[in-house]
Amino acid sequence: MAVDISTGLIGLAAAIAIGSSAFAAALAEKEIGVAAVGAMAEKEELFGKGLILTVIPETIVLFGLLVAFFILNLAK
Amino acid sequence: MLSPYEMDSVIITGPNDVQEDVIKELHKLKVLHILEHSKNDLADIGKPLENASNLSEALVKIRALISALNIKKENVKFEIKRNLLDIQSTTRKLNEDVNSNSDELRKTEELIAKNKILVQELEILKGIDIPLESFTDYKSLAYFTGFIKNNINALEVDLSKLTKKFMMFNNASKKNIFIVLFIDAENKLKAKEILQKFNFLQQNFANIGNLKGNASSNLKKIEEEISKLKNEKQEIKKKLGMLTQQYGEFLIAADEFLREQLEKAEAPLKFASTKSSFLIKGWIPANELKSSIEKLNKASKNKIFVAFQPAKKNDDVPIKLNNPNYAKPFEFFIDLYSMPTYKEIDPTFFMFITYPIMFGIMLGDIGYGVVGIIFFWWLKKKMPKSTSFLNVLILASFVAIIFGFFFGELFGFEFINPVISRERDMITLMFIAIGIGVVHVNLGLIIGFANEWKSHGLMHAIYAKAGWIVLELGVAMVALSYFKIISISWMLGAAFLLISILMLLKGEGIKALLELPSIFTNIMSYIRLMAIGVSSVILALIINDSAKKAFHNGGVFVLMGVLILIIGHLINIFLGWLGSFLHSMRLHYVEFFSKFYHGGAKKYQPFGLKE
Repeated sequence: MAVDISTGLIGLAAAIAIGSSAFAAALAEKEIGVAAVGAMAEKEELFGKGLILTVIPETIVLFGLLVAFFILNLAK
Repeated sequence: MLSPYEMDSVIITGPNDVQEDVIKELHKLKVLHILEHSKNDLADIGKPLENASNLSEALVKIRALISALNIKKENVKFEIKRNLLDIQSTTRKLNEDVNSNSDELRKTEELIAKNKILVQELEILKGIDIPLESFTDYKSLAYFTGFIKNNINALEVDLSKLTKKFMMFNNASKKNIFIVLFIDAENKLKAKEILQKFNFLQQNFANIGNLKGNASSNLKKIEEEISKLKNEKQEIKKKLGMLTQQYGEFLIAADEFLREQLEKAEAPLKFASTKSSFLIKGWIPANELKSSIEKLNKASKNKIFVAFQPAKKNDDVPIKLNNPNYAKPFEFFIDLYSMPTYKEIDPTFFMFITYPIMFGIMLGDIGYGVVGIIFFWWLKKKMPKSTSFLNVLILASFVAIIFGFFFGELFGFEFINPVISRERDMITLMFIAIGIGVVHVNLGLIIGFANEWKSHGLMHAIYAKAGWIVLELGVAMVALSYFKIISISWMLGAAFLLISILMLLKGEGIKALLELPSIFTNIMSYIRLMAIGVSSVILALIINDSAKKAFHNGGVFVLMGVLILIIGHLINIFLGWLGSFLHSMRLHYVEFFSKFYHGGAKKYQPFGLKE
């Protein structure tokens, strides 16, 4: 399957959009996760709140996904 | 359904001589959520009943035995004589048995460990034919034992330059050479210097002590002893195991009985008390109040006085959620998050409707749903404590099967014509997901409206909650007119926007301005309904494709293909469950609850109810 270079670049751009936003989400979640586990060690009932706080940055990836979709539409 | 049980605050007071009867009755009734009294000028806290210290002592002993015998806590139906003295005498005897056995076990284990070190030392000496008693203190003789890397000949040459009076034994093992060097005491220091040049590593034999004869015969003896000790250890363990079997159920039943008794005996610590009377404050659900008071009066021969009144506005009321049986499992999520306050709407019922739908959309595969139902059903038998949580998952898996028909998926294969294909119609699915987001977030706003109306009045509810809806309408109008989908002037949308911002400013203050975009990021967040599902489908497709290729090649590859299918789908199913569970939970907690939920109330925990 041979594709011309511009299509390839579009694919690459979409990949960067997803990849970098996933990386950002991971960075953010790492920090929150550490703090949440620390809080849970002190007070176990905080599990629910900790879990919620930890997954909040996940929306960042979804924005990356959205942008990737828009980029991929350029290829059509 | 949407609000917790009504509660009445209750004060029970009476003379000390009926205190124990009242406690017993309350423990049986399991209705009173006791508020702990803290000591003040008017009244001290009560004293525990007489037998409390005996009970706690016995309980500590029983718990020590349970942990020493490694007994697992299970539900046992063992009838014990419900009598403290009997329990104490049985535990005393058992305690002696267990203690003597565990002492012996520890001693045997220590001996085994010591002998094992000795074996290691003897293994080193095994290759050298010197009687063990040679390793003792001499007047005119010194000796070194240890390892050098190699160059044994060079070492010998160096030593012979120093003196003729030495004797060296060696035994070459894998890498190092073990040497024993006897040398006259005068040259000890110089010999040490020479040895250091050859990277000599000293090895001490601290444990051979009084052993006589050569190493290998001793080694045999010690190894025999170790195996004898190991047998002894097994014997002791068997004895302990028999004790566990014989007394395990008794201990667990006794633990439960004593805990109950102790709970009763220590209850007065939560009461207010004077020299001759006690006073208990707490909450009882309104529907159980009348019968409870009657029973209490009967138990105390009408010697107590009970006052009660319905909850007032600022009371910190403990919450007992009130939901129909089918929605009850979903109280799990509220429990995990935080209890709603007394006047707030309890969102359990809404979660009962929306949670399985979101889970189902994300998992959306007939095969995965069926596996889910079977697995969670099996798990329910194994873990009766997590029943409500597993019921949620079973219901959600069932909805996943329904959506599986909708998406036409069976383990990733498209086996019927789908209404919407997750593989090809991603964009359509994305808009559906956003649509669900709009509905869900606005449902949250409507519930929030009702909450605010109840607690802060209609106008505040309009400003703080309806303002968001106006904002959404404004943005929608501007966008639709910009893309020329509807023919209205964008000015109208802008006017809506302006009005909504003013409303929110009035309702929620300046921080609302910062929060303005949040409602849209919240709605966008529902795209995950599509994203999680698509990623799971793509994974399933990859698994199926690689299995297909393997089947194509035939021979051994068929087996490999089967393995790929089983392992791949198992992993994907697990990821699918985890992702769907967590993400629909998150959509509820973060996107939905943030529109209306305050929470933070205490959970209703009646005295006497086991957790």
